[in-house]
Amino acid sequence: MSALTCADVESVVDSFVDAELPRPTLLAVARHAGNCPSCDRTLRELGELCEVVGQTARADAEALKVPDLWPAVARGVAREESRRLWKHRLRVVPAWSMAAAIAAAAVLWVRGGDEAPTRVAARPRPNQAVIERLDSTARVELRRERKSGTTLIMVNDTGGPLR
Amino acid sequence: MNAAVFGLTAMSLLLLGASAPSGAVDVHVTTVHASAHGRSDRELLEHRPRLRRLVGYRAFRMVGEERRRCTWQSGEEFAIPGGRQLRVVPQGMRDQAVRLRVQILDGERALVDTDVCLQNRGMMLFGVDQVEGADGEALIIMLKAKR
Repeated sequence: MSALTCADVESVVDSFVDAELPRPTLLAVARHAGNCPSCDRTLRELGELCEVVGQTARADAEALKVPDLWPAVARGVAREESRRLWKHRLRVVPAWSMAAAIAAAAVLWVRGGDEAPTRVAARPRPNQAVIERLDSTARVELRRERKSGTTLIMVNDTGGPLR
Repeated sequence: MNAAVFGLTAMSLLLLGASAPSGAVDVHVTTVHASAHGRSDRELLEHRPRLRRLVGYRAFRMVGEERRRCTWQSGEEFAIPGGRQLRVVPQGMRDQAVRLRVQILDGERALVDTDVCLQNRGMMLFGVDQVEGADGEALIIMLKAKR
């Protein structure tokens, strides 16, 4: 790989800090920074900043008081074990008993069909947005991030400048 | 006759006042330029992972930021890059969410015209994508509303 310029390094600095560059490019950037105090400083600063953000997030996570977490995990594991056991039992159960169970379930379903199911309201996520109406003169795409509930309405428009 | 008209008008105004939510809402608009290559601004470091997942670009630079206290039912226009306007009309509260009408206007043309219910203090994003693919770029609008 040919030697990089400061502009080359500038364009990949984020990817370098995230260690997302291919190995030869990572080495080329590091080699350039070794001989260029300005790029070296930039990379160090951004790296330190990322580290500080990471540490803050880790500290926040450690500060969380979760005394119920491990009992809940243990309950989840026990539930999963029990589910596996039932699956195994179902595999080895004779066909006539399976048919009897289905028939019994059908009878119960027909007799108990009047009761409305209980609905549990989901807790809203911090950035949740409900789109009630959406009109557009351009091509629109709706994207949602599961973790935070953040919604993005992306418009593809070749009409005007962005800056 | 005049007294009756006056009475009706006063009654209507009272009813309107009672139905409209009191106070105002803080609207915070941040515009961000997203591109495939380059550096990201430090101010956006906190949002970068989410922007990368949602928008798909790597580098994010802040173009502008504006905060306004908006009154219910009245439209506020925020200038966004490219000569466009972001028009926000706060319409009311519903279950801890702020109802907003949001339009991205390019002159007379509404690129987007939407009614949204955004969680109080939450954030949603609008994007104007110009070229698809690795060398594309986009304008991202981060919209926050706080009652």
